[in-house]
Amino acid sequence: MTVTVLGISGSPHRHGNTETLLDSFLEGARAAGATVEKVVLKDLDYSPCRGCNACHKTGECVVKDDAILLFEKILASDCIAVASPIYTMGITAELKGLIDRGQYLWARKFILKTLYFPDEHIKRHKGLFISTAGQNWNHVFDGAFPAITAIFNGTGFEYYDNIIANNMDEFKGIKNHPTALRDAFAKGQKVVGVIEKMKKG
Amino acid sequence: MTHDKDTVMPIKVLAFAGSPRRHGNSETLLDWVLGGMMADPDVVIEKVALTDANINPCKGCNACEKLNTCVQRDGMDIYHDKIIAADIILLSSPIFCMGIASQAKALIDRAQVFRSRKYVLKLPIVPPERKGKRLGVFLASAGQNWNHVFDAAIPSVKCFYHVIDIKDADISYLMINRVDEKGAIEKHPTARTDAEKLGKTVIAEIKKRLAA
Repeated sequence: MTVTVLGISGSPHRHGNTETLLDSFLEGARAAGATVEKVVLKDLDYSPCRGCNACHKTGECVVKDDAILLFEKILASDCIAVASPIYTMGITAELKGLIDRGQYLWARKFILKTLYFPDEHIKRHKGLFISTAGQNWNHVFDGAFPAITAIFNGTGFEYYDNIIANNMDEFKGIKNHPTALRDAFAKGQKVVGVIEKMKKG
Repeated sequence: MTHDKDTVMPIKVLAFAGSPRRHGNSETLLDWVLGGMMADPDVVIEKVALTDANINPCKGCNACEKLNTCVQRDGMDIYHDKIIAADIILLSSPIFCMGIASQAKALIDRAQVFRSRKYVLKLPIVPPERKGKRLGVFLASAGQNWNHVFDAAIPSVKCFYHVIDIKDADISYLMINRVDEKGAIEKHPTARTDAEKLGKTVIAEIKKRLAA
């Protein structure tokens, strides 16, 4: 059984630093034999969460759009790589908009108790966060981690690793970063190997 | 005290309600703060519900670094000028998935045009005589009872105020956790009192600053 890897690009800017870093990770995964797919959020049609809490009663979102289809795809993947640049110390509004739509899964888990991910499932499903930031501060990614943790928790993925590179403004882009693209490729290869081993074992 | 309306400059308050849910907990908190402010006859308030404000996310095109304006034509065309004109800017948001709602994040990211103006083009945001005479208020509600539930929201909020020339020290916060269902904040023991008091305190402070 091949490992399925889903890359989610949360940048409004096509083929920028973050998407390039995601591409490198996905290439590594493909090189290791995985089936790879990339979804670009800006090309999807979905609205932000309305906060109506209807899902707290039904476990279903009242808004039927691409966000629900994407969550189905996420739940069917072995590995997801969620990518967003840092804008004003957080993830983009596009990615935050998607993550907030996962509320119906949260409701299934914690209110309706119709969804449960056993530890064994979580261990076999790996989530990675991929990000770049213009700023050189080390804490520039801190505001992003909690929302990323939320989507991994909601969808039954272990928060496996970060592939993050700051100081893009000074490097003049990810292509000039000494190690980031190579590291992303290697992490793509590695995670597929880890999941494959678990699937066999 | 009587006011000569021709000579007293109004205190301009601009309030953004960031929740997609109208009249929910975070917006109620905002309304209470505005209620405290409204007690002063010199205050002029404009409240905007971001869910109806037609503010698209930032495209990350960086064109504002050259153009000093955003290439997108939407609701932000109006609010850009109002953000500059206001003496007090409030933002309220619920916490969704450990961060501010995406509607509020879209507004904050669109402030990139101010960041470009300030740091790339080295142009002023407000005229020098208005520096230090602007205040910010951030209000939030969260369903979770964790104390750290607001932590990830604050860096983005600080950035927003920073690029529109409101210093960290000039931002007030009131963040209420453990309120989830619509109306839950009404039962909170201190939220309403604290919010109304905050409204009054911020108006007293801006009056002092504007008079200086």
